[in-house]
Amino acid sequence: MKLIQLFTFILAGLILTACANGPKISYGDATAVETTTMGFGSTDLQTIAAKLVDGLISFPPIVQMTSARRPVVFVDKIKNKTTEHIDTESITDTIQTKLLQSGKFRFVDMTAVKAVQEQMQFQMDSGMVDPTKAAAFGKQTGAEFMLYGNMSSIVKRGSGAQDVYYKFTLKLVNLESGIMEWAGEKEIRKSGEKSFMSL
Amino acid sequence: MRTAMLRAAMLAGISVAMVGCAVNETATVNVREDGTTEQILESNSGVLSSSLSIADTKTGFVGNMLKAQVSIKNDSRSDLSFQYKFKWLDQSGFEVAIDGSPWTPLAITPYESKTVQGVAPNPTVKSFKILVQD
Repeated sequence: MKLIQLFTFILAGLILTACANGPKISYGDATAVETTTMGFGSTDLQTIAAKLVDGLISFPPIVQMTSARRPVVFVDKIKNKTTEHIDTESITDTIQTKLLQSGKFRFVDMTAVKAVQEQMQFQMDSGMVDPTKAAAFGKQTGAEFMLYGNMSSIVKRGSGAQDVYYKFTLKLVNLESGIMEWAGEKEIRKSGEKSFMSL
Repeated sequence: MRTAMLRAAMLAGISVAMVGCAVNETATVNVREDGTTEQILESNSGVLSSSLSIADTKTGFVGNMLKAQVSIKNDSRSDLSFQYKFKWLDQSGFEVAIDGSPWTPLAITPYESKTVQGVAPNPTVKSFKILVQD
């Protein structure tokens, strides 16, 4: 009888230990260098954004222009000409956030136009909002500049080795005059051993 | 006896691996009110501290933003691959835009020195730190 009790006790202990040992999960540094595969990764995104923002805010004519005022910019899509699926909006989001936080530029968000329109329609037409406090139509500021660009890659595979080259180009164009005020480029080269699953 | 030696070897291996991941060189550069700079170099006993050195630091302003330039020299006979990162601090020493700048990989050939540059994330930045790790 005692033996059965002891056995049950040990078994219960083992089950409890098993419950406590869940999957091994840990938090890492989001800014750490990531080299899991040859594909486009977080380090590439962060270095592209950092380099281009540094380039834009330290370009002499831009420094002069932004010393007295904060120009309004609209961000167009970045064309992804690489063979990979890359969320280019995520890159432009990071660039836009950094530029906004630098205090040098202001942005109009074209991704929120529909939601803004719906909210304004509600304020105007629903009869629930005080007309004197409703946001009026036709008062928004137009963007002075457009930020857009391209992302391309060259992938080469040899026997046992592969090389990936990324080029990200960002341009700032004056919407009224059509003059390109600034352009910046960031190149990234990654080399590694060829593996069946990568890219 | 043999098990004890094996354990000691494993411990040594683990400690070497831990040192290998540590931050090896740090340079803190403070810009004083009159524009002069004060540089504080710190290094721990990591692998890089004997083979890498922060040769020169320069600061300037682009508009009202602090611009930093650091020359890193490879003093060894072999190629070195490492990572660097800028940390930006305001006048009171508070870090500005935490995790704003990423660890950036860099490779230097023997006895070569490379220059890295960074622009502060906003005008409140008055000093910076550069961290180097392998």
